[in-house]
Amino acid sequence: MSNMMEIKDLQAKIGDKKILNGLNLTLEKGKVHAIMGPNGAGKSTLSKAIVGHYDIEVLGGEILYRGENIVDKEPEERALDGIFLSFQHPVEVAGVNNAYFLRTAVNAKRRHEGKDELNAAEFLREMKKQVETLGMKPDMISRSLNEGFSGGEKKRNEILQMQMLQPDMIVLDEIDSGLDIDALRAVSEGINSMKDGERSFLVITHYSRILDYIKPDYIHVLKDGKIVHTGGPELVAQLEEEGYESLGEA
Amino acid sequence: MKLSDLKQRTASEILAAFGRDGAAAKSAETLEKMGLPSKKTEAYRYGDIEAVLEMDLTIASEPKPAEILPSVQLIITDGVVTHAPASVKLGYSKAIPADQGHFDPLYHLGHVASPGVWEIEIQDEVYLHIIHRFTKPTSLIPYRLAVHVTPGSHAAVYEQFIDTGATGSLVLYGYDLFVGRDATLKMVKNQTLDSGSYQMVASHRCEVGSAATLDLATFDFGSASALQMMQIALGAHAHVEASHLLYASGSAKRGTVSKILHIGEGSTSNQQAKSILGEKARGIFDALIKVEHSARYTKAHQNSKAILLESGAYMASRPQLEIYIDELEASHGSTTGQLDGKQLFYLQSRGISAVEAKRMLIQAFANELIDAVDGEMIREILHRDFDEAFYGQTRVECIETCHGCEEVVLNEGV
Repeated sequence: MSNMMEIKDLQAKIGDKKILNGLNLTLEKGKVHAIMGPNGAGKSTLSKAIVGHYDIEVLGGEILYRGENIVDKEPEERALDGIFLSFQHPVEVAGVNNAYFLRTAVNAKRRHEGKDELNAAEFLREMKKQVETLGMKPDMISRSLNEGFSGGEKKRNEILQMQMLQPDMIVLDEIDSGLDIDALRAVSEGINSMKDGERSFLVITHYSRILDYIKPDYIHVLKDGKIVHTGGPELVAQLEEEGYESLGEA
Repeated sequence: MKLSDLKQRTASEILAAFGRDGAAAKSAETLEKMGLPSKKTEAYRYGDIEAVLEMDLTIASEPKPAEILPSVQLIITDGVVTHAPASVKLGYSKAIPADQGHFDPLYHLGHVASPGVWEIEIQDEVYLHIIHRFTKPTSLIPYRLAVHVTPGSHAAVYEQFIDTGATGSLVLYGYDLFVGRDATLKMVKNQTLDSGSYQMVASHRCEVGSAATLDLATFDFGSASALQMMQIALGAHAHVEASHLLYASGSAKRGTVSKILHIGEGSTSNQQAKSILGEKARGIFDALIKVEHSARYTKAHQNSKAILLESGAYMASRPQLEIYIDELEASHGSTTGQLDGKQLFYLQSRGISAVEAKRMLIQAFANELIDAVDGEMIREILHRDFDEAFYGQTRVECIETCHGCEEVVLNEGV
């Protein structure tokens, strides 16, 4: 099977507002797909629908992940099956130690995959390696989860989680927002290191800047809750020059 | 006897009921004037005091032992000191001058009903571990301590409570605490109390002298009802840091009723309560900070946060400020609610089950106060006791709290 995920005629609302209006999207295995679109198009709603956020009510359609419809699955089941969302605004959780949280998550996934759990020392060795690679401060290991982290530190922490959890379908919701050039480079390198020809990436962004670092295979334009255009990387330049209004309906 | 039998009694009749002479006469007179508490009494309106007063009990009457044995800890069994460390000076008085202005009738009853007062003098750099043991079933166990921290001293007290057969008993405990000028006392109380055990009303009075600091942290866990009542008076430039962590389950009615009195100029207080309530438990935080005319340039802050785990749980949160001056900084607040949905989802989105995610967030809520306690060993005990009360077993791992392994790993190759 060459498709990691197929989204078919997805309709979803938040509260009383219908946001996704029959969205169709195919994400190929091993490819980087970028979603661009104007404010309010439904980009973040799509990412939330994929991971099963409680805000979203799916009204119709399917999200097929490796051929299985996951619309009714719990968020943790989707995560254990290999879906990962890097949040636009990661929440702060005072009192939950970053290492403890991540080891709990890693070991939950390992149990799900029938592997032995990592003990504290094994886990910390691995975490320390990744922390160094990402240029994070060592004390972030023992601090509370995202508490008091700067915007850049929070995004690096998202990438750290991604690297430790080794997911198969990675959704990055505006991973570039609030990052300076150095942080953007470090985060992008972290993401690129995960490319292995098998994993799929869905990069949701407002700006083309991140796509200079994470080279997409496909660009999809989302407007009014639907994918209205799909093209290759060259589409980025066109969007930069002409804006979203230049594109007609798909 | 039933404590309700003392209703409408004169001071001398109350003294006679406990076989006391005139040493506790003033407290008996105050009690006669105040009367026993009822559910209409301000301080007891959220508890279940009338059921407490109706408990049919035998007064525990252990004599003062001929010899107090040396020990690392101060051990008090059914209200009687049996072991004491050499680092504290211990005395025994028939009575001490009680605070006749204390708001709690059971403070005064405690002074009347206790056969005497154990006086403890703590000097510099002393760490005192007090173990309260209760062994007698269906008994009224009244006892009081008077703790004197000498001026300029820096000391710590850790209180632990152990039940070894006091089913159905009522413990009327309390201390009169005097923190001398320029002294610092860090006091931690750790009490797990489950249904089928004893009940306790602890009624305390704290006098914090000029430029002295009292750091008081209380940890109350379990499914039995209990109340801690405290009146804290602050001298000039004195400070109290009070934190209260409550985890109550079952049908427990449990919590803190307090009055912090700013009397001296420049005195400061910070009181923080966190409550986690399961099943049909009722948490109580009924706390007044009163700033007197004399207490200019005071700073007083008070906050209560509660998490209700089930629909039958209830929090009676009532932080209050009573202020008679303009020159001060003061705040108070209270929130009661459920776990944060965004935080829960974040954890679940990483593959952590909803049940485990809830546990982690509850633990985090509790950790803020536990991790603020000085001393690694005490923190570990508090984490363990919270886990045992909450999960029914110990779940603490070193990675979560002590970070010892982590430091080893972090230092590897450096």
